[in-house]
Amino acid sequence: MADNGEKLFTSSNDSHNVFLMRERVQVYIEKHHYESALFWADKLVTLSNGAVEDVYWFAQALYSTEQYHRAASCILNRNLHKTDMRCRYLAAKCQFACKEYQEALSTLNQIDYSASRPINIRMSFNVNQSFTETEVSTSNKNMESSMNLLRGQIYEAMDNRTVAMECFRSALRQDVYCFEAFDLLVNHHMLSAQEERELLDSLPFSSQCPSEEEDMIRCLYENKLKKYDSPKEVTLPDSLVSLKDNLDISVNLAERYYYNCDFRECYKLTSKILAVDPYNSNCLPLHFAVMVELKEKSNVFYLAHKLVDLYPNRPVAWFAVGCYYFLIGKRDPARRYFTKATTLDRTYAPAWLAFGHSFAEGNEHDQAMAAYFTAAQLMKGCHLPALYLGLEYGLTNNPKLAEKFFSQASSIAPNDPFLLHEMGVIAFQNEEWDAAEKYFKDALRRIQESDSHQIIAEKWEPLLSNLGHTCRKLKKYDEALEYHQHARVLDPQSPSTYSAIGYVYALKGDSSEAIDYFHKALAVRRDDAFSTTMLSNLVESLMDELSSNDDAEEDNPIFEAPTGMSIPKFSLDDSSDCLPAPQQPVAPVMRLTSQLHDSSFSTENTSAVDSSSLMIEEVEMSDCD
Amino acid sequence: MRFLQEYDQFSLATSYFDLREYDRAAFFLKDCVSPKCYFLYMYSRYLADEKRKLDKASDSIGPPDHLDNEHLKTIRIELGKKHANKELDGYSLYLYGVVLKKLDLLKDSLDVLLEAIEKEPLHWGTWQELVPLITDREMLLSLRLPSCWIKQFFIALVYLELQLNEESLKIYQDMEENGFHKSTYIVARIAVAKHNMRDVDAALTSFNELNSLDPYRLEDMDILSNLLYVKEMRHDLAHLAHKCCDIDKYRVETCCVIGNYYSLRSQHEKAVLYFQRSIKLNPLYLSAWTLMGHEYMEMKNTNAAIQAYRQALEINKRDYRAWYGLGQTYEILKMPYYSLYYYRNAQRLRPNDSRMIMGLGEAYEKLDRLQEAKKCFWKAHRVGDIEGAALLKLAKLHARLGEEDQAAGAYNEFVNEANALGLGKSYSYEGLSEAYIYLANFYVKHENLDAAYQAAQICSEYTETREEAKAVLKHIQQLRQERPSIPSNNDIRMDDTFGSIPNDSFQSHNNTPVMNFPPVMNLRFNTP
Repeated sequence: MADNGEKLFTSSNDSHNVFLMRERVQVYIEKHHYESALFWADKLVTLSNGAVEDVYWFAQALYSTEQYHRAASCILNRNLHKTDMRCRYLAAKCQFACKEYQEALSTLNQIDYSASRPINIRMSFNVNQSFTETEVSTSNKNMESSMNLLRGQIYEAMDNRTVAMECFRSALRQDVYCFEAFDLLVNHHMLSAQEERELLDSLPFSSQCPSEEEDMIRCLYENKLKKYDSPKEVTLPDSLVSLKDNLDISVNLAERYYYNCDFRECYKLTSKILAVDPYNSNCLPLHFAVMVELKEKSNVFYLAHKLVDLYPNRPVAWFAVGCYYFLIGKRDPARRYFTKATTLDRTYAPAWLAFGHSFAEGNEHDQAMAAYFTAAQLMKGCHLPALYLGLEYGLTNNPKLAEKFFSQASSIAPNDPFLLHEMGVIAFQNEEWDAAEKYFKDALRRIQESDSHQIIAEKWEPLLSNLGHTCRKLKKYDEALEYHQHARVLDPQSPSTYSAIGYVYALKGDSSEAIDYFHKALAVRRDDAFSTTMLSNLVESLMDELSSNDDAEEDNPIFEAPTGMSIPKFSLDDSSDCLPAPQQPVAPVMRLTSQLHDSSFSTENTSAVDSSSLMIEEVEMSDCD
Repeated sequence: MRFLQEYDQFSLATSYFDLREYDRAAFFLKDCVSPKCYFLYMYSRYLADEKRKLDKASDSIGPPDHLDNEHLKTIRIELGKKHANKELDGYSLYLYGVVLKKLDLLKDSLDVLLEAIEKEPLHWGTWQELVPLITDREMLLSLRLPSCWIKQFFIALVYLELQLNEESLKIYQDMEENGFHKSTYIVARIAVAKHNMRDVDAALTSFNELNSLDPYRLEDMDILSNLLYVKEMRHDLAHLAHKCCDIDKYRVETCCVIGNYYSLRSQHEKAVLYFQRSIKLNPLYLSAWTLMGHEYMEMKNTNAAIQAYRQALEINKRDYRAWYGLGQTYEILKMPYYSLYYYRNAQRLRPNDSRMIMGLGEAYEKLDRLQEAKKCFWKAHRVGDIEGAALLKLAKLHARLGEEDQAAGAYNEFVNEANALGLGKSYSYEGLSEAYIYLANFYVKHENLDAAYQAAQICSEYTETREEAKAVLKHIQQLRQERPSIPSNNDIRMDDTFGSIPNDSFQSHNNTPVMNFPPVMNLRFNTP
């Protein structure tokens, strides 16, 4: 059509002049001299008497100078959106930018009625101008895919997520290179892991891309898929080796490290990435997450400051500030800044999650749950909000609801060891020891599978401790000891592990070992009521047992006889331990849960963090275009 | 090959390392791969963090925070990964072992250190780290160690540490005879072994020898000061303190010596101050913690004492003095079960030290487990009673249980021993009066009036029993009058009883009729 108008125009007027002017407009747009482009485009429109091409570029220049209403009305007044696809798209895009969602949608939907005509026209012209068929159809498809993408964005902005998801999906199917659609799908957690995989399998790679690219693009996408639902090894597929140094790939790799709980490795990598590209927007949220995990307070502080100065209207900056306050334990300001991040972008899910965590930390369960619910609505395909909701219900002694949410989470991510662990904790609280053991062992197996070296990250110390507690309940004392010792290796000098070990020894009747461990526990944490009472009981009973102390050999026989006496005492303790949960011996268990909760918190938190922040980057980028 | 390529970085880093700029050293070694550089890298990082921790700890008062081990955990993880891939050399293994030990993962630490020794048998540091991990002789014998001359040194040190002093001394003396007689290390070890055996004079001679060999050696001087303290050689201790202070004021040993000096002068606050300083210099310095515990005990600050003793035990679980100190403090706090437990641990470490056994016995007594208490006191007596109170306690116990014969036997033996030692010791003084009065009553009851008379005579020498002795003497007189068969010379004696205390009564102790008292005690004690 452009050619059409052009022909008309050349015939009537000084052609040279117009051609030059068009070139000039293009050049200025390229150079981002939008005002000049606008000036000349405006003149062109008049000169060419409203030729489609010229109007389109005029509107484009208006869009670039953020005069969205003007651009939209310029197209709509001429009714060009009814005839020209590009104009329709641009008009809708402008309306979207003005947040006139309904109008934008109706503009876009006009396509469907008149879709056939412009294509036909185009086709005929193209044939005339000796374009090949395939090129046309792909460019055409690209246009449709962009429209679908825009439609999806509009629906998402209107909170109609299911339709939005469908739009993104079809956009991606129409153009597999449309990373934006893919990214929105993945990073807004619209799909569960399985759905993501299905989508990837259903994409028509073979028909749309050359064979040498097919493998690479698939791997690139796969590389972006959910990483936190089940731990995996950190390796690059062969087809991506040549992209090894690409920062984006490195970020993905770092993320992988993060979800494998290898925080130091991750931190090393993210620091390296940020050294090359200081404000890499994909990397920043991950970087913050890992710094929170490693408690790098001063670095968080510094970087958050820089971000606030540079990007005060991006949620990630305020999220960073919130992270800092969260890290130093000032929950009130943390909440304030998380809220700020969410007001900048309502769909910024990580801030919602972190907002919830800041309440959960302070044992304000109701508010935490409210925040998690919001997060749950925002990220349908993500199991984390459900996981946290379950956690909160578990902590507020509501195991039924907790189980409900866990099962909801497990329908999305059945392989997440964090989830399995939490389910185990609930089973433990319900005194279903066997079930708890099963869950814990399942989680442990999944972690071990992920690592070829069989080195379990320190993060998993609670899991091993809980396994120890469970085995103790099941009276498998030796196994319990083994797990506790392993937990001790992962997190040395933890008082609760010491007292747990001491407790197992006490139950085994080995009082002197038990005393040793309780001593150790008390040396680290002096005000541990459980250890203190256990210790004094044990010391008394041990000393009662040992009558003749002259020689160790003499001790033993006497020692053995009264062991029987002492055992009822402890088993009594044990029963009191298991039955009324909030009594003293529960303390270790409770603590572990909360600790675990912490742990899962930050991991998940960040996972969400990166993803949605990515999303935000995307949105902003599209705004700038 | 690699090492040659990295030699420049290595020498730069070594220089920084020697200047104690550990972080700098680590930075320049960051990317090196050769084992030597890697070790230096990790070791600098380790030391940098330890230094930081130490600096932080010396800013604050109170015991160091053992939880602040984040950096150790990081290092452990990194080394652990390499270890799993078998990429560590002997020195890095040593470092790994040290870190594990600090994190209280003793079993793993033991394995790693053994591996390190396998690779670098001549690295004495590894052997030294291994020493505290060995809990008993069986364990020592079960270890698979490379046969190397250095192993003897290790074994001797372990024996010394396990309080198997004779064995240790034998090895060291062998070494001394075979060409090591000039080695200050060996001489010092021998002195320490003798100190542990409570052979004070021999230990002092060894220290003198050491002093002439190497007069400016500060190591082990704290042990010498302990010896001087025990011997109450004030002037020597003062001299030693001044000398150490001249050599290096800021050494842990110096501070300990000065602390001991003040302690001997009963200036406990000052003593504590110096022990604290020594701890600030090196928080892992064992004897300072223990001695500080003792000082706090003297100052009746039981809480602080317990803290100090516990710290000592965290550093080395085999410090029997700290266990004993804990036993004492808990005894004061009237927690007999705990006290019993700690005494037991102390006694296990030094099975033949009467003080520990006495402690045990007293704890049992408090718990009303008199049979066990009896056994303890008897054993304390048998192994060589240092404080000389075992028999007295035993006798009292028997008396309390109404076992008069045995009580009398015990008192008798106590009196005998006291006499054999001479009477200068104040502790036996009050005990003696008590013993004699009991014996007097006992003899009266058994109608052995001569013996009773003698005992009562002696009793009257002591002010606290004088009245009672008079009564007994009167009673004897009555009895004698009833039965006139008693020889006259005793009568005469009896008459001039109370007023002037005849000197010969002291001498007469040795040939008191007590001697003819049936000495069946031993037999009875074996079957309690």
